[in-house]
Formats: sequence, C-alpha cells, structure tokens
Amino acid sequence: MRRSAIIVGCSVALSAAVTSCSAPAATDTAAGQKAPKSGYLATSDASFKGSGPLTVQLDYDTVEAGGLDPQTAATARSWSIESLVYEPLVTIGPKFEVEPLLASSWKQPSATEYVFTLRKGVKFGNGRALTTADVVGSLQRLLKSKAAYAAQLGPVKSVTASGPDQVTVRLTKAYTPFLAALANTPAAILPMKEIDDGSLDIKKEMLGTGPFVVKDHKQDQYWNFTRNTSYRDAENVRISDLKIEIVPQEAARLAALRNGSAAFVNFNNIDSMDQLTGTRDAEAVSQTNSDFYYLIQNSKNPDSPLADQKVRFALNSALNRKEIASVALGGQGRPTGVTPSVLPGACDPAKLPAATARSADPAALKKAGTLRLAVYTSEPAVGQIAQVIQQQLAKAGVTVKIEKYDDTTFNSKVFGAKPDFDLAIGWFAGYVDASMVSRWWNPVQAGFSSTFLNDDKTLDALIDDAGSEPAGADRTKTLAELCARVDSGAQMLPLVTRPSVVGYRTDRVSPTLRAAEGYGNILRDIAHYTLPDAK
Amino acid sequence: MKATAVRVRRALAMRSGDGLLRGAVWVLLALVLATLVGQLTGAGGRPDAIVGPRLQPPGSGWLLGTDNLGRSLLPRLLQGIGTTLLLSTLAVACTAVISTALGVVAGYRGGRTAELILRIGDVLYSFPAIVLAVLVAAVLGPGRTTALAAIVLVTVPLMTRMVGVAARAVARREFVTAARISGVSAPTIMLRHILPNVAGTVAVQGTYALSVGILVEGGLSFLGYGVQLPDASLGLLIQEGGLYMVGAPWLIVAPGVVLVAAIMAINLVGDSLRDRFEPRETRSLV
Amino acid sequence: MDHIRWLLGRVATAALTMFGVSVLIFAAVRAMPGSYTELVLGPLATQAEKASAAARFGLDRPVVEQYWHWLSNAATGDFGTSLVTRAPVAAEFGDRLPVTVTLTALALALTVLIGIPLGVYTGTRDSGGRGGVLGRLVSAFGMSLPEFALGSLVVFLFTRYRLGLTVGNYVPWSQDPLGSIGSLFLPACVLAVFCVAATARTTRDAVLGVLVEPHIAAAVARGEPKGFIVRHHVLRNASVPVLTLVATLSAYLLGGAVIVERLFNVPGLGSYVVDGLDRRDYAVIQAGVLLAAVVFIAANLLVDLVSGLIDPRISVLAKGAGS
Repeated sequence: MRRSAIIVGCSVALSAAVTSCSAPAATDTAAGQKAPKSGYLATSDASFKGSGPLTVQLDYDTVEAGGLDPQTAATARSWSIESLVYEPLVTIGPKFEVEPLLASSWKQPSATEYVFTLRKGVKFGNGRALTTADVVGSLQRLLKSKAAYAAQLGPVKSVTASGPDQVTVRLTKAYTPFLAALANTPAAILPMKEIDDGSLDIKKEMLGTGPFVVKDHKQDQYWNFTRNTSYRDAENVRISDLKIEIVPQEAARLAALRNGSAAFVNFNNIDSMDQLTGTRDAEAVSQTNSDFYYLIQNSKNPDSPLADQKVRFALNSALNRKEIASVALGGQGRPTGVTPSVLPGACDPAKLPAATARSADPAALKKAGTLRLAVYTSEPAVGQIAQVIQQQLAKAGVTVKIEKYDDTTFNSKVFGAKPDFDLAIGWFAGYVDASMVSRWWNPVQAGFSSTFLNDDKTLDALIDDAGSEPAGADRTKTLAELCARVDSGAQMLPLVTRPSVVGYRTDRVSPTLRAAEGYGNILRDIAHYTLPDAK
Repeated sequence: MKATAVRVRRALAMRSGDGLLRGAVWVLLALVLATLVGQLTGAGGRPDAIVGPRLQPPGSGWLLGTDNLGRSLLPRLLQGIGTTLLLSTLAVACTAVISTALGVVAGYRGGRTAELILRIGDVLYSFPAIVLAVLVAAVLGPGRTTALAAIVLVTVPLMTRMVGVAARAVARREFVTAARISGVSAPTIMLRHILPNVAGTVAVQGTYALSVGILVEGGLSFLGYGVQLPDASLGLLIQEGGLYMVGAPWLIVAPGVVLVAAIMAINLVGDSLRDRFEPRETRSLV
Repeated sequence: MDHIRWLLGRVATAALTMFGVSVLIFAAVRAMPGSYTELVLGPLATQAEKASAAARFGLDRPVVEQYWHWLSNAATGDFGTSLVTRAPVAAEFGDRLPVTVTLTALALALTVLIGIPLGVYTGTRDSGGRGGVLGRLVSAFGMSLPEFALGSLVVFLFTRYRLGLTVGNYVPWSQDPLGSIGSLFLPACVLAVFCVAATARTTRDAVLGVLVEPHIAAAVARGEPKGFIVRHHVLRNASVPVLTLVATLSAYLLGGAVIVERLFNVPGLGSYVVDGLDRRDYAVIQAGVLLAAVVFIAANLLVDLVSGLIDPRISVLAKGAGS
C-alpha cells in the first residue's frame, strides 16, 4: 500500500488563498534554533557557504509500472524523487498558493482560459533550451495517456503555443484546481524532442530542467544525482552530489543519522523523533501533510450489516478522531473531513454530523456484529490506528477483528475485483486544493472504488460544484456540505492527517522544510539547502 | 585408571548438569505459571486496553510501563509468553507426530519408501528457513495458523531425518528381525518395538525444535508476518520495543529477557535429555 | 568402484532434490494472493492493462509451459527478468553474491576460529565437570540470542555511543576491500554468535564422545602426551559431525541472513529474495530459492565426500541410512 497509496489524490486549488491557512504547529525537537519563517519548520541558514555531497536515506524506492515516466507516476515517493530532475510549469508555495516555476507568469483572461509565459533561460540537462513545443507536447501527452493523473487536469479542451514563449490552455468549463494540479510532478515538462526522435527512453532515463541529473540508479539500493550544470540557477545549488540510499529498516536509518553516515532521512514512525534524544547535531521534525488516513466501510456487500447506512453512521459516531490522532499518532496528526484540514477552505471536522451526534445509535450498533478490519504491514501507524479504532468500537459494543496483511495481499483483498473485507484503513494524498481528493468519493470517476463504494448522485454533484466554483464564501459552504455528506454516508471516512517525519544532521546540512505539504514531497526545496563550510 | 577417571569426570559433568536442568525446568515452569495466572486472574488488566498515557516508565498503574498506545506492558507480556509458548509447543507437537510417523516408517521400510520420504524432506530442508517461513506467511496470510504451519515446515525435515536414522538402527537389531520372522505384522513391530526405542531421539529433537520454533515466530514478527493485532507474542513485543530503545527501554528489556531465558531453558533441557538418551549423538538442530 | 557408484547415486539424488525444490517454489509463488500486475499497476488499472502487463511477462501462458520455460532457461544461467526492475535477475545476483559470500566467510571464520577451539577446550579440560557446565551454559546462552534482538541491540549501542565501528553504511568490495570487511564485521559478529555456540557445543560433544572410546584410553595408557592425543586421535575422529555442522551453517548463512541484512543495511541475497516476496517478483524469488538450495545441497554433497575421505566407513553408513 505504501507504493500504491497514491493515487489517489489530487488537487486543486486554487486560486488563491481563500481563507488564511493556518499553518499547522510543527513539533520541532530542536529548541535552540532560530525561528523559521512562517509556513516553514526550518529555513536554510544563508550564512552557510559550503558546497559538497549530501546523503539522504529513504525507506523505499519508486516502483511504477511506467518506470521513471513522471506522467504515469502514481505515488508520492515517485513524485519526490522525480522532482529532483523534472519541473512543472508552476509550483506550490508554503501556504498552498500557486507560484511560478517554468512559467514565469500566467494570465487568466477568462474562467476557462490560461495563458502561460515561459521562463527565459531554461535548459534541459543535455543543454537544449526549453521550447513551447516541449510544453504543448508534454501536456498533450499527459492528457492522451491513460495515466490516472490526466483526469486531475480537469476538462482541458486544447493546449496550443500562442507566441514564441507563450502557451495557452483552454478548458471546456471552469475548473478551480487546474493550476494546483499542474504543480505536481506528473504534469512536469518533458524533453519532447528527444522523446519523439527516440533518443530518450523516458521509462528508463530521466532528462529534465531541474537542479539534478541522474548519474546512476540501482533499484531499491541507491540513486546518485549530480548537479545539473545546465540548470538556470546552478551556481546556487550547494549540493554537488546527492546520494539517495534506500534503507527499509527504520532502525538502520536511525542509526545512519546518529552516526552521521546519512545527513537527511525519513521516518515512518512518529516516535522515532524521540529516539534521537542525546544525539548531538541531529534533529527531527514532523511535517503536516494534507494526506490523510481513511477508513473504508465496505457498503457494497449486501450480506454485510455495513450495507445499512444507519449502521455505518452509528459506527462513525462511535469513532473519536481526536483520540486516534493523539494515541495512534502521538499527537502528530489532526482530525480531518474529506477536505484535508490543513488546506485553505477546509471544513471543520468537529462540526460534522457524526461528531455532533449526541451518541451512537445503539440499535444500529447492535446490528453491526463482528467486523473484520484489514490493514497492511508496511506502515506501523496503520496498525496503531486500527487498534485504537478497535478499542473505541469495543466500548460501543462492536467487536472488531484486525486482519493484517502484507501490502500486496491487502491490495488484492481491498482493491481487487472481488473485495473481501468489512473495514479497511488506507491513506490518500490530500493535494493542495480542498476539493480535489473528494473526487475519489465518486466511484464512477475514481474507478478503483466502485467495487466497495455505492454511487451517491447528491455527493457527486457536490464534488463537481466544489471543483468548478471559484474560491469564496460559496465554495466554502459547498465544501462544508461535501464534508457533511461524506460523513453521514459513512462509506469511506476520512480520519486524521498523516504526518511525515524527517530527521537531519545540523552539522551537515541546513534544510528548508515546509510546515505543511500537499504532494508528499519531502525533498521539495532540496536545491535550496545550504551546507556548512568544509573544515 | 585414567579411563576410569574420564568416566568419573563424565559422571560429575552429568550431575552438575542436572543442576542446570533443574534450573531450566524451574524457569519454564515459572513462565507457564505466570501465563496461567495472567490468563485466569486477569492480572494487570486486559492486554489490549489503553490504560494510560503513551510510553510511561514502570509505575503504579502499569507495573512494567506502557507502550506506544498507552497499554500496560505487563498483561501484554503475559499474553505474549502464552502465545509464544503455546504456538511453539503446538507446532512442535505436530512436528513430532508427523516426523515420528514418517521417520519410523522410513527407518523400518527402508528402500524406496525411505528414499521418497527423505527426498521430500530434503526439498523442504533446502529452503532457507526464514524464506520458507515468509513464503508460508505470504500464501496463508499472517496469523497464528501461519506461524504454526511455518514452524512445522521448518522443523519437520530435520526431525524426520534424525528419527529415520535412529529407527533404521533399531530396525536392524536382532529383536526386530526376530519379530519379523515370527510373523508379527509390520504396524505392530513399528509401534511395539521401534517407536519406544526412538522415543529418546524424538524427545531431544522435539526440544530443539521448540527453541527453533520460538526463533521462527520471532523472525516472522520481525519481518511483519507475526500474530494478528492486537495479540502479543514475544517476538512482536521485541520488534515493537526495538523502535523505542532510547526513550522507553523497558519495552524491549522485559520481553527480551523472558525470550532469551525461555529459549535458553529449553536448550538446556534438550542438552540434558540428549545426554540421557543418546550419549553419542552429536548432530544438533540448526 | 563402490565409491564411484555411491558418488553417482549421491549426485543423482541431489539433482532430484533440486528438481523438487524448483517445482515447489514455482507452485508456491503462484499460490500467493495478489499478483505483480495488481501490485504495480495499482487499483486504478483496468483489466485490459493488467492483461497486457501479464502478457508482457509471459504470465498468461499455461503454468506448465511457464515452468518449463523458466527451468530450461535457468539451466543455461538465465534466471529471467525481474518484473520490478526489468533487469536480468542473474546480473543482480552477481552483484549481491560477493556481499553475501564475504559476510558468510567472515561469520564462518569467527565460528571456526572461536567455536572449535572452545569446544575442544571445554571437551578436554581437566576439571571437566565445571568446564562442562560452563561450556554448556555459554553455548546454551549463545544459541538463545535471536538475531533480531541481538542485532537491534548492537545497532543501537554502536550508533548511540562511539565504539569505533560504524553500522549501516556498507562499503562495496570494489571500492575498498579492507573497508568492506570492516563494514561487514559487526553483522558477521551477530551472525556468528549462534554459529559459534552451536559449533562449540557440537565440538565438545564430539570430543567427549571420542574421549570415551577404547583407542583413546589405549593411547593414554601408552603414555602419549595429551596435546598429541588431542591433535592426532581426538580431532580427526571428532571432525565429521563438526564438518557437517559447519557445512549446514554455511549454507544457512548463504541462503538467508535476511534479518541481519535488513538491520545492518547490507545489500545481500536474503533481503533481495524477501523483498521479491513482498513484491511478487516471481523471477527473483524463484532464482533466490533455487540458488540457496543449490548451495545447501552442494555443501552437503561436499561434506559427504570429505567425510568419506576422513572416515571411509561413513559412505557405507550414509547409504545404509538412506540419506
């Protein structure tokens, strides 16, 4: 599941920060550091003037059916690694606002038309300059592909070059998340000339405009990147050689950070932060994500009590998301509705129907009987959430039997053609617009969920409205209704947000880390990291 | 004179060895008793109940501290000992039955039957143990049944072989030949004459298989294929505790000590049994 | 003549065992729930996409045909292509084999250098009684430390405190041979603890077994010096069970030091195969198990041959016992 967790999420966003985004409180174990800028957990120390290699350790590598082709990449891990090489037209700021990247600016002459002006001086890793043909070709290739992400770009009618450095995209109808969807790695601009003439096999090699180029890669073992000398800002990239080692065992990554053989690592257990106590020069922080864990109640099995909305809603009312966040995630997650609670415009999970219901309906709970709850092994937090849920439902008189499977078995039990589960826990990438992930609650659009999710036309309409309404009070209201509908239907229930924990050596690197992230990219901003002077 | 001295020395070794045996048996009895008391009286509370804040050091509400979900470690430890011992014992009982039956038949019949049985054993024996265990877990899905099946598959081949060798030796002895000539049926010979004479080997190998079983269960837990949540086993507790070694060392110390003590006691019992039943037998179970 | 016939029979049964292993592993990987196509294509893939992926890897052909295709290729050294990396499995094994071999060699060296002398010492010591108890306690303790617990402890201690050796950063042999051995030393030690204890115990038992035999008593009576007796009579006679054990241990180490590899981040064969299991990467699992079985069977064959040389009675006994 870690690999395919994917998917699912997309975003949107939008225009502008509608409501002020409250940057989540970050837990920073380092007391003595300079306070970072708002929206950041850490900002690179500009007084560090060093340059040199950096070693990063991650728990797993990118594994995709489409190889290294970013357009078909479906997992946040692939997006992170591939973002070292590839760049999209726009990117996301610390408060989820859309910012320029390969497009230096854009205009929106109408609700359905976007005109991008390309940045000057952008070159691919082979030295060739970026052209409008690359941009048009890349977006058309993505739209034509069957990649899951293609759907996230919305109702695109045409992509054309409208000037020597201008590209125009027209939509068939307004689509609020369009720019936000463009800001993720699958929408990156590819070297179309090399792809078309066959000199580049994009499934096996990477050639982009970003700060790094690949030197070599050994699947599941390491990646070696070097600075891209053609990168427009190459002189400001301090990391000369970036090594990413794949180290599955949490204890081994912890060890590497302690003894300094890695300068930056990710953790998948929130308590690993405390394990660094007593280690000098090491620090761990927890990044809040829009990603969130969800609980599926399989409503499509007619023999199951879960086919009854009353039972599902009663079970939902028996859940205590605050306790899940504080116990299973050590307080690092936060309750959320279907609009990820860290995003602008998100609904308030405390005001949802199940949370405000005085108590769970005892008659309905009685019907629930014994339920099987499927979880997967690669992420300890999922098992912990399951055990907390088991306790909460036990208090309500419902017996839950946890079934823990390896990731592949879990996928086939839950997402296979014939689902074999009552309850299941997974996570969705939350993206950067509050409406985008809700798309997966429409089984017709999502595809993968149609085997366990009943279609709800009212909900589908709310999802569409949320996607096309411009940011503002109306949209906020639509989003709140959307949340409530999901909560009372109680088929797929958002639980709590999913934090990312990263650790780094303060004597090796001064990173820039956002307080909140929408595309799960823990390597974002790595081109801006500074390094201490070599001794 | 010197040969006598050697014998005396051996006898001495045996006697002090019995001290070890007694100690080992006491340790095992204590563990079984602790489990029974825990299960019967509910000492320390329900193992899966959240009783306090997360990761608390040992204190009044939680004698051995709390884990990462705020559950008291004591009842979980008692449950873990029970799970681990029960699972391994049950698995080894299955192994003993299967291996003894196959081994005795192979030893008595010899020839093609023995070849067939031993070759099948060799096929299983050629799989790396942990890979075989994970494979079983992947096919059956994690849980107690899986751990059981994995332990049986890992321990059956060697035990079958050892029992087969012992049975073969017995089958060649005169009293067996005599029985056969006088028309006693093969099943009767196997049951009456061969089985009692390989009982020692079965006991010794069974004891070692028990310690291997505990190790296999721990290894499976470590790789994520152990018992189902929220059940505890010693392997699972150690695996979970390992993540908290700095901040909450009590989570790994208690189950670690118990696990090592249990395996060690079983190994010592095995050693004593072997000294008694097969003073010359030198193969060991690895 | 008898010897040659025995040898041929032995090789034939080894081949038969290999065949059995190949059938079993091939069937087992296909019995696992979930398939590679489901895993990698993810829940969003359509049936058509899954079918085309299956066709690409030949997974849509009849199982017997797949098996035959795989086996005949494997016989020529072509173990197929990893479904995940699309690289030849044989090449990956070629990269990882030296790592595993070095790790095994280190652990075995420790085992032989410490385990055998320890066993001989505790087996022949004058105050045999106490030596026996102590030896027994030490070896029982060593055999009771699970790799996952001991390994976690070592990793923790060596990273928390500066103890001279670093853990977790494997240095390839090609880069720095000495550094490579240094980086594998701790994992080898963790592996060796069990092996040393088992070897010491087996050696001690074998020595004790030999000591009570009449020809030793006779040598003692002849007044031969103790060291001489140990070197010439005891060791030779005790070597067969020890050899058997060491062979079994080496095969065990080569085939599956999975847990230690994971803990110490060593890119060896065992963790590659277990990762393959998680991913349903059929070619990798099959090749890994087959390779481990070859090593195991070859090691046993070798031991039988060597034992036959040391003690000609063995081959006859082995035949008699049908093993």
